[in-house]
Amino acid sequence: MVKMLVPYPEKCTGCRFCEMACTIYHDKVVNHANARLQVHRRGVKVDFPSVCTHCVSCGEDCCVLHCPVEAIKKRDGHVYVDQDECTACGTCVEVCPFGVMRMEEKAFNCDLCGGDPTCVKFCPMKAIVYEEPKPEQYEKVKALLKEEE
Amino acid sequence: MKGYTGKILKVDLTSGKSHARAFDEKHARKYLGGQGFAVEIVYHGMPKGADALGPDNVLAMAGGVFDGFPVGTGGKVAFAAKSPATGGLAESIMGGSIGPELRHAGYDALEVVGKSDSPVYIWIEDEKVEVNDAADLWGKDTREVPEILKKRHGWDVKVACIGVAGEKLSNMACIDCDDRQSGRAGLGAVMGAKNLKAIAIRGTKDLVPADADKLLQLALQYQKVYEAAGSFVEDTKYGTGEFLGWVNKERGVFPTRNWQESVFNEREKIDPYYWAPKYVTKNKACFACTKPCGKLFEVKSGKFAGVAIDGIEYETLYSLGGACGNPDVESVARANELCDLLGLDTISCGVAIGFAMELYQRGILTQKDVGMDISWANAPDVVPKMVEMIGSRKGIGDVLADGVRVAAKRIGKGSERYAIHTKGMEPPAYDVRGMKGHGLAYMTSTRGACHLRAGFYAPELVGKFWKWEGIDRFSAVGKGPMVATMENFMCVYDSVGLCKFSRGFYLIAKLPEVIEAITGLKFTEEELLKIGERVHNMKGAFNYREGVTRKDWLLPPRILEDPIPEGVSKGHKISVEEMNMMLDDYMKARNWTSDGQPTPEKLRELDIA
Repeated sequence: MVKMLVPYPEKCTGCRFCEMACTIYHDKVVNHANARLQVHRRGVKVDFPSVCTHCVSCGEDCCVLHCPVEAIKKRDGHVYVDQDECTACGTCVEVCPFGVMRMEEKAFNCDLCGGDPTCVKFCPMKAIVYEEPKPEQYEKVKALLKEEE
Repeated sequence: MKGYTGKILKVDLTSGKSHARAFDEKHARKYLGGQGFAVEIVYHGMPKGADALGPDNVLAMAGGVFDGFPVGTGGKVAFAAKSPATGGLAESIMGGSIGPELRHAGYDALEVVGKSDSPVYIWIEDEKVEVNDAADLWGKDTREVPEILKKRHGWDVKVACIGVAGEKLSNMACIDCDDRQSGRAGLGAVMGAKNLKAIAIRGTKDLVPADADKLLQLALQYQKVYEAAGSFVEDTKYGTGEFLGWVNKERGVFPTRNWQESVFNEREKIDPYYWAPKYVTKNKACFACTKPCGKLFEVKSGKFAGVAIDGIEYETLYSLGGACGNPDVESVARANELCDLLGLDTISCGVAIGFAMELYQRGILTQKDVGMDISWANAPDVVPKMVEMIGSRKGIGDVLADGVRVAAKRIGKGSERYAIHTKGMEPPAYDVRGMKGHGLAYMTSTRGACHLRAGFYAPELVGKFWKWEGIDRFSAVGKGPMVATMENFMCVYDSVGLCKFSRGFYLIAKLPEVIEAITGLKFTEEELLKIGERVHNMKGAFNYREGVTRKDWLLPPRILEDPIPEGVSKGHKISVEEMNMMLDDYMKARNWTSDGQPTPEKLRELDIA
């Protein structure tokens, strides 16, 4: 089974260390807008991480399905953006149900750090775990995101 | 210059105009950032003798050197201004995410001057800086304000704001961000006086470290240190109140019923070891904190059902609990929530309530004065009610809303004898009669009685810290130079933006490599302590300039005259002779005059103009 990032909203403290570690690792700078995952904080009660599920729980809002030039592909169960084919139209950013498709000159998303995810290493509360995908956890995050609309 | 944005944003609320000024590496080397920057801005920006609640007061906010970078617990933001409570410098640190966000918007610090004619909020979106109408926000609480502004500007906008207490210019009004507070010395009233309800920020810029790989490696290294530490487990389970039982029983210095006692016999009812399993539903963290002491405390049923707070912190378990003789943890939680919503400092507010309750016990205040029976036995009902009255300045709440020093003047009838404060600020949860160096620290803290400006409770309660061992908490000998050194030490943490709960992990010698990975600037341990000394001297020079002198530093009568009545610290007090000896030692160690003025030679040595 391919391992994925699995979020545990009830364990997240909202510290956002995962976002910082993510962008420092990939881009050598900190910029939360480019973190391949996102921590949400709402009021005093709610903190949760939203991660890329690599097609596991996206349903109809799948970036792979919606990309007009078919630049978003799957390899070994992981979704990636073919940088040569991406036209930076922004469709994927709009449809992503988890709000974690990113755009600079071209679109990009979580690459699981090549199998050793940085965010997981830095989460002290184990609110993000690298393991067999758990669709019910993704559904929890979807429900929380819906409350924000 | 890596790691810094290199800019300070100044907003003039009188004209509504703003501009950014650049600073250079020399400035960064001199003040580091965070509190160093904030204190410098107020020291140089505010004209001598300005009214703390007038247009000339300067409110500064600055992110620390670590703010926005992946350094565990390194996301603290510093506020500073002249204090309406003490007449000297108010400065306060909090873990809200507004500091990192300010840096992402392109500024290391924000300087707010002037005064608006009508309620406004500052809206910063990178280069775009607006002073917007806040008529619809006035009167709203500290949770409603960010909700409205996030709806308007986007869910990931960061908001620092004041509650009604700040609007009503209470000396104990705080600034709130993310349910964390810059609580002390009345900074919320400074915002209120400027008609500034909130500061909202959205920053999208990169923060660029000097050496990203090294920074990530250090972050991972410290992550392992944290996770292996005993305090990680305790803080994560019980929050900052985890040592309440120990302070109460093993050290006998948990101030109770307005400092009449130092052991709270009902402490099990407010000790998190007992309540955490029942009420804590989740851990909460400040920005970048990988060692979370924040707890989501929820009351699900009963009279206080619906209460949900980030707490209850150790200090609040004292102020709204023990200090008011309140053994009902749900009542403490509700009072804490009301403080948060109204924008009140829980420490000062609780101590003021305890003060009123003692005056009632002694017949100085009566049911007619207060409007209800505020006997100790009624604490669970009284405390939340009194918080509401203070926050909205109703009845006796109006008398108490400016702290115990002002309240004692208003009430008279010998009530000064029971007002516990130094410099006009109410003390935190350590009875200094049983920890004399910490008593000195209450006096020397430039913002008034504070446990975090020297953090001297740790060396004295444990008996060792950093380079010292065998510290006798009951002795006044030799404490002057130690407290001065610890103040310099703490100024470094407040300037890099690191949580003081991490001082045991990142002892000062370990800071230079982290600072270098972020900024590329090299410092030695000695150089950092010199910066800390500079920042503290600047605070001291500000205070002296504004008329806060040795007479204002002195400990209240109860500490000097009433020995602790029971428990393991029984019989101890700080005598007037001990107080004066410690103060003289301290002034000598600092090369300040006996009246508390930094000497011209010292200021020259530290390059303070």
